[in-house]
Amino acid sequence: MIQALFIALSAFGLFMALGTVFARNLVHAALYLVAFFFVVACQFVLLEAEFMAAIQVLIYIGAVAVLLMFGIMLTRNITGDETTIVTGQWRLLGIGVAGAVMIVLFLGINGFKPWTDLGVRPEFPVTAESTTPRGQAILAMTPTVGREMMTRYVVPFELAGLLLTAALVGAVVLAQYDRTDETSAAAESPQP
Amino acid sequence: MAHFEMLTGTDLTPILAQRMYYEQVDLVLWFRWGLYLFAGFFGVFPLIVAYVVLAERKIAARFQDRIGPNRVGPFGLLQPFADFIKLIIKESIVPKGANSFVHILAPILTLISAFLVLAVIPFGIGLAPVDLPSGLLYMVSVSSIAALSIFLAGWSSRNKYSLLGAMRGVAQLVSYEIPQVMSVLPVILWSGSLSLVSIVQTQQYDQGWFLFSPPGILGFFLLLISSIAEVNRAPFDLPEAESEIIAGFHTEYSGMRFGLFFLGEYLNVFAICCLSTTLFLGGGSLPLQGYFAGESHHMLAAPFDASRQSTIKLNAHHEFPENPSTGFKIHITNSAGDKEAFQVSHRVGNELVLMANRPVEFKADTNSRVSAAARPSYAAPWHLSNLLMIPVFFAKVFFLIFVMFWIRATLPRVRVDRLMSFAWKTMVPLAIANIFVATIWFEIVIRPAGGFTSRVIAWIVTGILTAGVVAIVFRINRNSYKANDPERRPTLISRSGDSLLAATTQGL
Repeated sequence: MIQALFIALSAFGLFMALGTVFARNLVHAALYLVAFFFVVACQFVLLEAEFMAAIQVLIYIGAVAVLLMFGIMLTRNITGDETTIVTGQWRLLGIGVAGAVMIVLFLGINGFKPWTDLGVRPEFPVTAESTTPRGQAILAMTPTVGREMMTRYVVPFELAGLLLTAALVGAVVLAQYDRTDETSAAAESPQP
Repeated sequence: MAHFEMLTGTDLTPILAQRMYYEQVDLVLWFRWGLYLFAGFFGVFPLIVAYVVLAERKIAARFQDRIGPNRVGPFGLLQPFADFIKLIIKESIVPKGANSFVHILAPILTLISAFLVLAVIPFGIGLAPVDLPSGLLYMVSVSSIAALSIFLAGWSSRNKYSLLGAMRGVAQLVSYEIPQVMSVLPVILWSGSLSLVSIVQTQQYDQGWFLFSPPGILGFFLLLISSIAEVNRAPFDLPEAESEIIAGFHTEYSGMRFGLFFLGEYLNVFAICCLSTTLFLGGGSLPLQGYFAGESHHMLAAPFDASRQSTIKLNAHHEFPENPSTGFKIHITNSAGDKEAFQVSHRVGNELVLMANRPVEFKADTNSRVSAAARPSYAAPWHLSNLLMIPVFFAKVFFLIFVMFWIRATLPRVRVDRLMSFAWKTMVPLAIANIFVATIWFEIVIRPAGGFTSRVIAWIVTGILTAGVVAIVFRINRNSYKANDPERRPTLISRSGDSLLAATTQGL
């Protein structure tokens, strides 16, 4: 039954991904993207990684999608009627990047030897017999993620934090209330 | 398997709810979940919402020296049904030029997010529909869908007022989500778990209400204020400010679709009151129950060194729960008199596996005493304690709902820029500072499993710090207001009188 659920969800997710690419209306594309994010969260649930599912919904739907909507609302033609089809050289570039990403993912998922040797997966403290090892892995997922974030992956974590801070400062500088310009008043642009 | 036994009734373990994995999901559980869905989500919660609405109308009427609805049924008790029938027979209109699919989707999304939040609330023992190990995170993530639904409602209506309301709504929701989540962090720190069931158990059997500490008080009020903003209620109801933008994002909604927004809003009110009760008011526990919960004592079966081992062997058989949740703690006192608290992850036979891998310099020989917060005997009829817990839980929830009505009837609506600066200049700094004060409380009271004296010391230390933090933040804000030329305050209307949003709404 799980298998059937997986196939149905994946098919739905693929349709949503195609919809994101082919939708002409920008808001519709964003909506398809939200549905796709939600399908990814469902896949995490099927993998019994509910912590990841919650994070997926929180970050990608609660933050990224809302920010996307904000971007559309504040910058573009508000109804989003204009088309978003790229043409010419940009299309070629897009195909190239998409192909590269596909190759990387293919190698990564199929266990490309030089890469798999680079890192060791963190061990889950699975010692219980009272419930199943999978159940224990789920219980220990949140502490494990937290611990790994603060020990092994502390440098990437801090770098990501630095990047976000830089982006935040940049946004504040861009949106800062300009005393000479009478019309640019809304300085309180919310930044999550 | 204990879980199957529990479900079939042979071993009634009084844990609030048992965690389930796919292998353990059987027909009985499917039936139970089905029952929750149909009885709870189609019957009980809409009914609660109906009478909360009636209560609000009655209470608001009393505040304004009126009588309120009293014509339909005795004391107006059938008024919600009259309203419901009126809403359902009204025509649902989709404006011409609106995006009909998104227009219909938006109220449904609101309702979905409100219902999903209620799925992890522990209403009583065995009455948490699901107990996720990361339940709090789940709550935060599903409630963030509400921002999306407000945006979609505003966008799909093809109406300037709807769009203005949606913009206000999304900005407000995104801003107030930050202090809301940050005010909850002390609770996670103190209970050591994201599971709402564990959080309630920690308060009920171990720590007492988290409200009873200076950082807890501050956290509770931050949570309450930001939650009121999250559900768009007065004084933060700018997205639907009827004196400015008609009805905001639901201007174009009529009939039952408007009714769905209405239902979603009041369900959200109910849900956040349940959340505040669970996190800070100890769920269904009585005020001082946690302090007077006794302890059960055991002896170590083998020496223990905390810096090396993560399992403890005990001479105890039935005193510990079969499947201790992550919030379950034990305290060890060694022969030198040192005391240390440990979080229990799970139990293997007679050994408890500890959660924390942090190296603690703590050694204990076999003469050490192990104590755990005593829970009601595991053979006790826990259905009976539900008879007390559920009314206590709902009494707290309805008191908080009353407080929200009270605030709504008392305070005027805040201005847009004040709303934003309150979130970013007052709430966020206070929430961040509160986390630091909460760690001090954790180090003095919770980690060493301190008694009355350490509580008093912690009250003095953190009380001074909390008061200082609040004073400093408010003082800085007042000074910044004074320093500001009132003409220079950011508004959404430029000095020449044109709306800044006019430029972006030209496409309509």
